[in-house]
This record gives sequence, structure tokens and C-alpha cells, in this order.
Amino acid sequence: MAKPRANRGGESVSATDQRAIKEWLAHLARGSRFWIRATLAAGIVAGVATIIQMILLARIIHLGVIEEAPVAGLLPFFLGLILALAVRALGQGFQARFAARCSEQVRRQARRQLHKHWQATGPVELGQSSAGTLAREWIDHVEALHGYFARFLPQMTLSMIVPVLILALVFWLDWLAGTFLLLSAPLIPLFMALVGMGAEKLNQQHFETISRLSGQFLDKVRGLTTLQLFGQTAGAAELIRKRSDHYRRITMKMLRVAFLSSAVLEFFASVAIAVIAIYIGFGLLGYITYGPSEDLTLFSGLLILLLAPEFFQPLRTLSQHYHDRAAALGAGNEILARLDSPVSRESSSEMASVEGAEDRIELRSVNKSFQPDQWVLRNLTLTIQKGEVIALTGPSGGGKSTLLHLLAGFMAPDAGEIHLFGQAPGSFRFGWLGQKGFLVQGTWADNLRLTTPDASDIAIETALRNVGLGSLLDSRQQGIYSPVSEEGQGLSGGQARRLSLARIFLADYHLILLDEPTAGLDSDSEVFVLEALHKLAVAGKTLIFSTHHQALLALANRVLLVSSGEVRDA
Amino acid sequence: MRDLKPWLDLIFKRPGRLVVGGFLMLATLLSGIGLLAVSGWFITETALVGLLLAAGLAATINLYVPGGAIRLFAVSRTVFRYIERVYNHDTVLRLLTDIRVALFRGLSRAGRIRRGELSGAQWLSRLTSDVDALDTLYLRLIAPTALAGLVTILVVVLAAVLFDIGTALLVGLLLVIALVIATAGVYLVTRRLAARQSDRQEELRTAVIEHIEGFSELTAAGRTGKHAAWLMRTAHQVTSEQVKADTRVGWHLAGSHLFVNLSAVLALWSGFALFQSDSVSGPVLVLLPIALLGLAEVYAMLPDAFGKLGATVACAKRLNRDCHEDKQPAPPIGSELPPKTALLAENVAVKYDGYTPLFTRFNLVIGEGERIGILGHSGSGKSSLANVFAGLSPLSQGSLRRQDCAYLTQETVLFEDTLRANLLLGSPEASDTELWSILEQMELAGRFATEPDQLDTWLGSAGSRLSGGEARRVALARVLLNPAPLVILDEPFTGLDAKTRARVSKQMEAILAGKTVVSLAHGSEALPGTDRVIYLGG
Repeated sequence: MAKPRANRGGESVSATDQRAIKEWLAHLARGSRFWIRATLAAGIVAGVATIIQMILLARIIHLGVIEEAPVAGLLPFFLGLILALAVRALGQGFQARFAARCSEQVRRQARRQLHKHWQATGPVELGQSSAGTLAREWIDHVEALHGYFARFLPQMTLSMIVPVLILALVFWLDWLAGTFLLLSAPLIPLFMALVGMGAEKLNQQHFETISRLSGQFLDKVRGLTTLQLFGQTAGAAELIRKRSDHYRRITMKMLRVAFLSSAVLEFFASVAIAVIAIYIGFGLLGYITYGPSEDLTLFSGLLILLLAPEFFQPLRTLSQHYHDRAAALGAGNEILARLDSPVSRESSSEMASVEGAEDRIELRSVNKSFQPDQWVLRNLTLTIQKGEVIALTGPSGGGKSTLLHLLAGFMAPDAGEIHLFGQAPGSFRFGWLGQKGFLVQGTWADNLRLTTPDASDIAIETALRNVGLGSLLDSRQQGIYSPVSEEGQGLSGGQARRLSLARIFLADYHLILLDEPTAGLDSDSEVFVLEALHKLAVAGKTLIFSTHHQALLALANRVLLVSSGEVRDA
Repeated sequence: MRDLKPWLDLIFKRPGRLVVGGFLMLATLLSGIGLLAVSGWFITETALVGLLLAAGLAATINLYVPGGAIRLFAVSRTVFRYIERVYNHDTVLRLLTDIRVALFRGLSRAGRIRRGELSGAQWLSRLTSDVDALDTLYLRLIAPTALAGLVTILVVVLAAVLFDIGTALLVGLLLVIALVIATAGVYLVTRRLAARQSDRQEELRTAVIEHIEGFSELTAAGRTGKHAAWLMRTAHQVTSEQVKADTRVGWHLAGSHLFVNLSAVLALWSGFALFQSDSVSGPVLVLLPIALLGLAEVYAMLPDAFGKLGATVACAKRLNRDCHEDKQPAPPIGSELPPKTALLAENVAVKYDGYTPLFTRFNLVIGEGERIGILGHSGSGKSSLANVFAGLSPLSQGSLRRQDCAYLTQETVLFEDTLRANLLLGSPEASDTELWSILEQMELAGRFATEPDQLDTWLGSAGSRLSGGEARRVALARVLLNPAPLVILDEPFTGLDAKTRARVSKQMEAILAGKTVVSLAHGSEALPGTDRVIYLGG
């Protein structure tokens, strides 16, 4: 059988992790204390209104049937009853509203935390995880917190408060009936644990099966073209049916056991109501000669009966929301793993002890290693004059990219100082061109204004022509206001990189760092990139790039060889 | 709503199960209502008899029937609930299977071009969640709604029998209002919000992915904060729409609950008038309002389900679109080929909308038994050409005729299944001996002979237990097993080191003897033996 697929919400989480996740969830809850309290207050109002509704109902029936009061005399009670119903509805409505607001705030807070962590992590470390994974954490895992904060958490507290209120009232009415209720739910926490264990197991197993099933299904869908090429789609459909059926049988075996725990809750609730009804009936007949039953009236008897289901209702609701908790724990586990991942980039502003000269870039005794005893850069001291064009060359893995990342402030050195024109790395704006171009859905103008919001239309068009995207632009009807990718077809890798380069043209940075600007480009794009870099160099920008490309090396006025921890002029 | 029809039809293909499941839900609910109503009746009756007895008057009461009924309902509620949950979960899993199989059949009939656009991981995960939304349609929506309607009718009939027609009609009116609030009302006020949710979320996902991919550039330009603030705002918009929908569902739930409770109050009020005119007894007076209070349980299931209906319809709409059959005629194959010709391309043009054509006036004749190599760097349209040859991509112009072909796509596609199942796709009737022989020639026999399961070795997620080169050779073996006379190989040796490549290339000669072979690669070293090589410019 296929191994369970990637860890998703609801899978088992170790005990220590669970504690950390619960702490984190509690921390989030503290941030939305107001809404949680408001939710609880509304829930309690609804609960109390329910109790009052039952009291009035029992009172009306007692007065009407036993005391044979005239209907007109009951009118105030009826009005009171309708009022109680209205209050109950308001309480329920506001509970839903406040709960939704609470979850909204919590999700916003969690997203902010994650993004803050991304920023602290820096682009290099962040690049270790796929964008899809990070987006899933930021969107789906945060969404999974919704049920926990909107439903489970308030219900958890309500299921302690409301039953206790009801129990107190029943005890006051008739302590023996109260004892029945209490006995049927021996200890509420024990009951909840029982419900919880069942629900958790159920949820976990169910989740596993579902994800296996969808894994099998998606696998076939992914390879649909291959199946079609071999004319095997009918067989594959049959296989999906067989496998699904197989999993269904396994799941059902498990569910038959798992559902027993909720059946137990159901059973106790039903039996408690039956026992209480029969006890009250016999008490009212006067058949029971001991205990408090002599004082029973239709009012107290009926009220106890009406309250009994309300006593169990919060617990039943809680058990329905139990999967929200499991989902939140699963999602919390992954979010926490992200938040706890080490942050390699120290806040660059702390290093801003300005002392370097303003006309040059200086590195003093810089060390950087990723593994102990393996220096990527060792004791590096280097000065680059403003306006120089520097090519970094050397074997792959030799430290070219690391040096660029240090200059960019994407990571901090282990030791030593870096000053760029008298400032700390990352404390001012500069141009960066990575190996992958970057574009957003939208128009050409949107894409260029991303980094230079106030650029004029003419400046944007000029920048695009500077990197050789002019002809592509001419083929689009609305010029810079036409979408970058039409009909689902994106730009080629080379075009995307040129688009990024156009942003640099537009922004007029003093310092431009480029990581292998021509690697993997088709010959057209290569020519345009070379031309563009030449223009930037002529304009007096400081350019630093890593490359093996002969033409680029020729463009540089200084070539540095970066190899085995050392940097020297080539 | 029309979009749901094909899926509803599918669900209703199991009428027996649906009816039994519905009956079990009804039995559970009636047991619960019965337990409370009979208990209320019993307590009132005993209170009245108790008073008579206390006053020294002679009175009798039948304790056995109500006592027995109470005990019966207590047990039957538990038992029915348990059976109902087990049975209906089984139904849901069966429906899940039905829906997946139907969807798969639909997708496999749908046009290939559409699917080309929609094959990423995002699309697949959306497909999963869309299917999930449909498979709970019965349990969350159809069954509870039918149940609520049925029980409402039963209670109204009960009111007409026990009380009078007037009361029954008024109670019925209030219940219908409650039902409408809980169903159509919720649907109408949440429809648009819910339908938009999924699309909004996908837009947000795209934006987040773009943000992360551009993180270096944005950091350098000092714009991460600004861009992130925009992302937060977008996310907040999505969430607040959801909050709006949730709040509306909450208010409708409360409103529908209020009307159910009001119907109980109304029953009590008009019951008193009847009681005082001695038309109904005290215990019966109590029975109906309590039964009405019990209705709240079934009504409470509805608003949430109807609040999601808008989203469910949107899911169905997307799935229908994905399964939409293309009108594109299949490329003609085989019959009208001139003799001794394996492939004939005449004046072929390949063009994607909004782009300059990849090829125009492309002509090629490949004779039977020829070995053609096609070379071009990445982006030269090599794979597009292979797709056109194999019939996966449409021509925008010209005609293409060819013999039956086996096609090794540039991407290695293996299934989460056994090695045997993966190989048999190429030739379903192949014997184990044939499979071992082809593995031997692909230099994989040793690799799998040492596995405990041999041919039944499980190839994990997307063939992940194999190295890239091994996976490629399994895919190649599968194509070589296929009896088609024309073989198209796109980058056949990806991931193979030079020595293995040379040996495998040599072994292939024997297998491919007599067949026509078109191989495409970025460089001549990545081609198997060829008679003639075509270079793609551009």
C-alpha cells in the first residue's frame, strides 16, 4: 500500500509538541480575549435564557393544568416566555457573530506572525522551502484554526458552565433527580475525555483514509495523459473503484468501534432522561416514600424533565466540534515548526554602526560557514570602489552566491564587518537579480510599479525597451497596461529575468547585485541582458555579479576569483 | 443549481441506501422526540392522578404502557443513532467512490488541451476539495432537509389529530417559516459570498506564491513590508467575507430556532383554550409543545449546510467545466497513409493564442522503419512537436497522419502502484518473462530481482522510491513493451549517466527492430541511433 501522504492536519502529534501547540493557541487566544469573552457572554446569556424559557414553560403548564388558572391570567407568563425566546435567539446570534470575529482576529494575528518570521528568516533561508508549502501554511493552515476558535474553544467553556447551572437548579428542585443527572455523567471531564478520545481517533483515522484515497485518485488524474496514450483509462477507473472500496471496508471496521464512544454519551443521556421521567412520575403518584419526592409538583417535575436534555446538549455539541480541535492541532504543529525554525539573519539595523567610507564597499575579516570547520568565506577583507563592475567567478559551491547574499544582507556573517557606502547591508534599497525572474499576475505596469510605485508610464516603457522587451510590448494591444501573461501562457525564463532587470533600470539604484545573470538563458535574452548590464555600467552604477560567462567577465573592470574560502583578483 | 444535477443524479443512483439511511435518521429523531413527549405526558398524567389520590379519590393509571414506551425510546434512540451513523458513513464512502470514478471518467473524456492548463498541484488540490464538498451533499444537506420536511408534516398532522385544524395550520405556518429561514433564506444570503470564497482563496494563494518567489527582489527594493501589507489586506478581505457569511448563518440558525420555539408557545396557548373547554386533556396538552421543542434538533443541522451550498454549487460548476468534452476532432490516424510511410505531416502550423506560431508550414515524411532524430535546445518547441505527433496537441493548420504510436513524454510519469502494473500499461497481456526480459535490457532486472516483492515492488509516491534514471528506464521499458509500430521518444535518456545511456541505447536497437522511431533531444549525445537528424531553429 502507498505510504500515507505528506503530513496533514489531524495526524498524530507527540505529547511535547502538543503542549507547545496548546501554548501557542492559548497565546493567540489571549490576543483576542475581548471577542472570546464576548462570545462566552453571549453563549451564557443564551444558556440562561434557555433555563428561564423552561422555567416559564413548566410554570405555565403547572398553573394552567393543576391550578386551572384562566388563560388571560397566564398572559404575562406567555409574554415573559416570548421575551426569553427572543433573548435566547439574540444570544445565539451574537455568539455566532462574536465567534466569527474572534476567529478573524486570530487568523490575522497568526498570518502576521508567520510573515514576520519570513522577514526575519530572509530570502535565502526562505528559499529552502517551496513557495507552495509556505503559501499552504499561510493560507490553509491558518484557516484550519477557524473552527477551533469559532466553535470548539467557546463551546468547551460553555459545556462546563451551562450544565453546572442546570445541575444546580435541578439539585435545588430535587436533589435525587440532580443525583441521577450527576451519576449519568459521572464526572464531566471524564465524559469529555471519553468523547475526545473517540473523536480524536476517529478523526485521525478518517483523515488518513481520506488522504490515502485522494492520493490514489490524484495519482491517476496526474498521469491521465499517460493512461490515455496507452488506452488504459477504463482500467484505471475500475482500479480507483476497487481501491476505494477496499479502503471503505477498512474504514468502516474502525468506525464501528469509534462510534461506540459517542453512542455511550447518547446512551447515558437517554437513560438519564428515562430514569428521571419515571422517577418523577412515581414521585408525583406518591409511590416513592423516601427522599425529596414528596415535594415534587408538576412544575418542578416538568422543569427537571425539560432541563435534562439541555444538560447534555452542550456536551453533544462539543463532541461534534471535536474535529476542529484536531484540525487546529495539526495545523498548529506545522505553523509552529515554521515559527521555531532558526532565524539566520540578524536584524540588520543593529549592525548599523556607521563608520565605513561613503565611496566604497568594505568587508573586514568576514567569516561565514554553514557547517562547522567548513568555511565558505574565511577572514575575507575586500574593498570595492563605487562605480566598479565586479565579476565573481570560481567553482560552483565556492562561495560566490554566499558573498552576494552577505552583501545583500540576506544573511549575516559569522564574524567581521560589512559596510556598503558607509551603511549596513540591507539598510538601503538596491537592485537584486536572482536566477529566477519574478512576475505577478497583472499588467506590465503593475509588475514594474511593484518596486517603484511612482514610476511614470514613459519611464516604464523605456525600462522595458532597455531590456529588449519592446517588441513583445508592441505585440500587445494595450501596451504596458496589457496583462503580462495572456491565455495562461507565461513568459519564458529569459523574458521573466529581463522583466526583473527592467525593474532595476526603472528604480535607479546605486548598487546592483546579480546572481549568474545569464545562466540558462537563450541566446536572444543573453544578448539583451549583456546590453542592459553594459548600459547600467556606463551609467556609473556599482555592479557585482557572479558568472562564468566570457562576455560578462569581459564587461567587468575587475574579476574576483572566489574559491575555497578565499577571494582574490583573477 | 443546475450544475449540481449530474452529481445529484449520481447520488440518487443508490435509492435503497438513501432511503434506509433516511429512515434510520428519522427513527433516531422520532425516538428522541418521543422520549421527551411521552415523558412530559407521563409526568402530567401522574401529577393529575397523584392529586386525585392525595385527595383520597379513586383513580387508576396505566403505568406499563408509558413506562415501557419511555424505556423503549431511550434504548431505540441510542441504537438507531449508532446504526444510523455507521450506515450513513458507509453510504458517504460509497458515494465518494462513485463520485471519484465518475469524475475520473469525465476527466479522461475531456479535452487534453484544457487539462494541460489545469494540471498543477494547485489544480489537483482544488479538485480534491471540490470532490469532498460533493460527497457530503447527501448526509449534510439532502437527508436533513427531507427529514425536517417529513417530521414537520408528521407533527402538524399530530397537532390536527390531538388539537384542532386551526392550531395545526398555525403551527405549520410557523414551522414553514422556520424551515425557509434555515434553508432557502440562508442559501440566498450566503450564496454569492460562499461561491466566491474558493476563487478568492486561489487568487490569494497565487499572490502569496508570487510574494515568496519575489522575496529577494522585494527585500532588496525594500518593498516586502508594503507588499506584505497588501497581502494581509487581501487575506483580510477573504476572511471578513467568510465572517460575514458565518454571521448570517448564525443569525438564521437563531431565527429558525426562535420560530420553532414560538410554534411550541403557540401550541401551548391554543392548547389551553381547548383544555379549558375540555377538548384535550392536560397530558395531551403537554405532549405537543414538547414534541415541537424537539424539532429544533433537526432544524439546527440545516443552516450550516445551506450556508455552504453556494460553495458546493461552485465546486460542481468547476468540476463540470473540467469534465467538459472538447469538440476538437481526434487527429486522423493510420488508414489513408501512403504505403511505406509511418508519419506524414503536411503544412502543419502550431500556434498558441496570443503568441507567435511555434511552427508554420512544417512538412515531414517519415518512412516505415526510419530512425529520425530531432534536435533543438530547450524552448525550441521540441516537446510541442512531439505532442503534435502523438496527437496530444491540436494543429492550428495543416494535416497530420500517422500509424499507431507509443509515446514517451518528456516528463516521467509513474503511478503509485506495483512495478508490474506500471509496465503492463504498455502491454496489458505481457507475460512475466517478457517483463523480466525488458527489465534486463533496461539494466533494471538486477535492481528489482533483489527486492522481496520482485515485480510486485511498490513504486511509491510518483515513483519516489526510484532514482530519476531508474524511473526513466521504467517509463522507457513501458513504451518499448507497447506493440505500436511508431515510437516517439522525447529525451529518452534523462537522468542516465553516459555509460548506462550508451549500453541502454544499444540494447534498444534489438527491441526497436522493424519499428519506426522518432527521438527528440537537446543534443545528439542524448539520442539513440538515428538515420537522419532534423535541427529545430528558433
